[in-house]
Amino acid sequence: MSDTEDQINDEEKAAIVHGFINHAPPGEVDDVIRDSRILLNDDNTFKDGIVEALSKYQQSQFMPVNVDDENAVLLTAHGLQDNGRFIDPATGKSFRFDFSKKSCVDIEDGSVDNGDAESWRSEIDAAISEYVKEYYPAGVSTVYGSQDGSDILITACIEDHKYSPENFWNGKWRSEWKITISGNSATVAGVLKTQVHYYEDGNVQLVSQKECKDEVSSVSSEKQLAEAVRKLVEKFEHEYQAGVFDNYNNMSTTTFKALRRQLPVTRTKIDWNKILGYQIGKEIGGK
Amino acid sequence: MANLDKQLDAALDLMRRLPPQKAEKNLSDCIDLVPELCEDLLASVDQPLRILKDSQTGKDYLLCDYNRDGDSYRSPWSNTYDPPLSDGAIPSDQLRDLEINANAAIDSYREMYYEGGISSVYLWDLDHGFAGAILIKKVGDLSTKIKGCWDSIHVIEVQEKSGGRNAHYKLTSTIMLWLQTSKAASGTMNLGGNLTRQVEKDSPLNESNSHIANIGRLIEEMENKMRNTLNEIYFGKTKDIVNDLRSMIPLSDVSKQQQIAEELRAKLGNNQ
Repeated sequence: MSDTEDQINDEEKAAIVHGFINHAPPGEVDDVIRDSRILLNDDNTFKDGIVEALSKYQQSQFMPVNVDDENAVLLTAHGLQDNGRFIDPATGKSFRFDFSKKSCVDIEDGSVDNGDAESWRSEIDAAISEYVKEYYPAGVSTVYGSQDGSDILITACIEDHKYSPENFWNGKWRSEWKITISGNSATVAGVLKTQVHYYEDGNVQLVSQKECKDEVSSVSSEKQLAEAVRKLVEKFEHEYQAGVFDNYNNMSTTTFKALRRQLPVTRTKIDWNKILGYQIGKEIGGK
Repeated sequence: MANLDKQLDAALDLMRRLPPQKAEKNLSDCIDLVPELCEDLLASVDQPLRILKDSQTGKDYLLCDYNRDGDSYRSPWSNTYDPPLSDGAIPSDQLRDLEINANAAIDSYREMYYEGGISSVYLWDLDHGFAGAILIKKVGDLSTKIKGCWDSIHVIEVQEKSGGRNAHYKLTSTIMLWLQTSKAASGTMNLGGNLTRQVEKDSPLNESNSHIANIGRLIEEMENKMRNTLNEIYFGKTKDIVNDLRSMIPLSDVSKQQQIAEELRAKLGNNQ
């Protein structure tokens, strides 16, 4: 690579830093920010836009936060209002999130109105909460409801993570389920994401994603739909996780071997004196 | 103000955290932020190996910092630079002979273990010995649904001792492994990364223990060990972590099972 004389400007540098933040593995954004700040070496450019970049990142990561002593809620794009405040549709509270203190501030009660969507939202919220307790050791869910013309749109977000930096690994699961109720049928569409980072003497990452979709053809009540949604979510998420495990086994036995064998076909290690002899023989025999 | 050493540490830490699937972009972004670190970063951060074709012999060879001079790369087959350089760095005549034989030996090694792929060996002189880079690349395009790539980067330092009857070898090996699958049940799975290990060894130098044999054995042992470690980490450890995030069976069943197991343990303990 030749010496580059055309340096990039401050705006481009800030964009690079925001890009780094956007790609931080779960549980490591603080480290990425610290490293980026040292590389940038210009606190004015650094401060410009850093909070927005961090907020956007944590929203895409479905960061769980405590809105009060008993309730956790996820930070997501669905919960972000135009005024920069986040909502918790379950408790009805809205708040700002202070990223340096890592806590909810300016909390206000009774500031969320889900309108006609609320009866559907609360039943699905109850079913999903129960489902998350059943399958996620430390999972948190947040279910939003809104009206879209004559349709009702319910968005259920699930997050679980395990951070073990002392053992050089971190992992996160995110699912996002969109339930669109139109007349007396509903579509259920999900995006499932897993990310794992292992970094002892190296850097290994798994990034995986799956999309799924199905219909609930006849919706008779809020409770009935909530049960049907829960069944579908459970089925799809189980299928995905089982598929991931199967694929792991397949990759280990088949794909990995096709890249490099454990041993040569001879089933013994190489005789390095023979290898050289073979080469010399080749040369004596002429090219 | 941050000094250059601190910035290099920060860049290396960042490279261990950002997704390895985007290693080249991550590196060029770091260099854009701190252009003064360009040479240091290129020398210390391993990148997926690029390939050039030697126009003289028609054979492919692999590119790294060790066969680079400016913007040109030296082919181990014809010992010439592409683009051509009138005064590009090349090994001494004696070392070049060793380099030719090393390339041939590693070529055979590669065929036995990788059944395909490309390899290249580059040597350079040191004060009391020599050093080398041994590179191997294997791409697997097994189907439209499964893609993979293995890159080995071995750097060896050889110090001759006792009047040429012994040698000390220091091997630093990095393996970059990347697998991507796209299947119905598991969606897209992208598993990528690298591991680095080091080993040092003293070996005698004689007819059945030439430099090439000693280095070859070290590399073979190292690659076999690392292959096992990669298998454990890629397909074992990361899988276990996914299992920690979501349970395949209801957690209430898991705690029931644990309760039964504890009761059994207590019973067995009482009967002893």
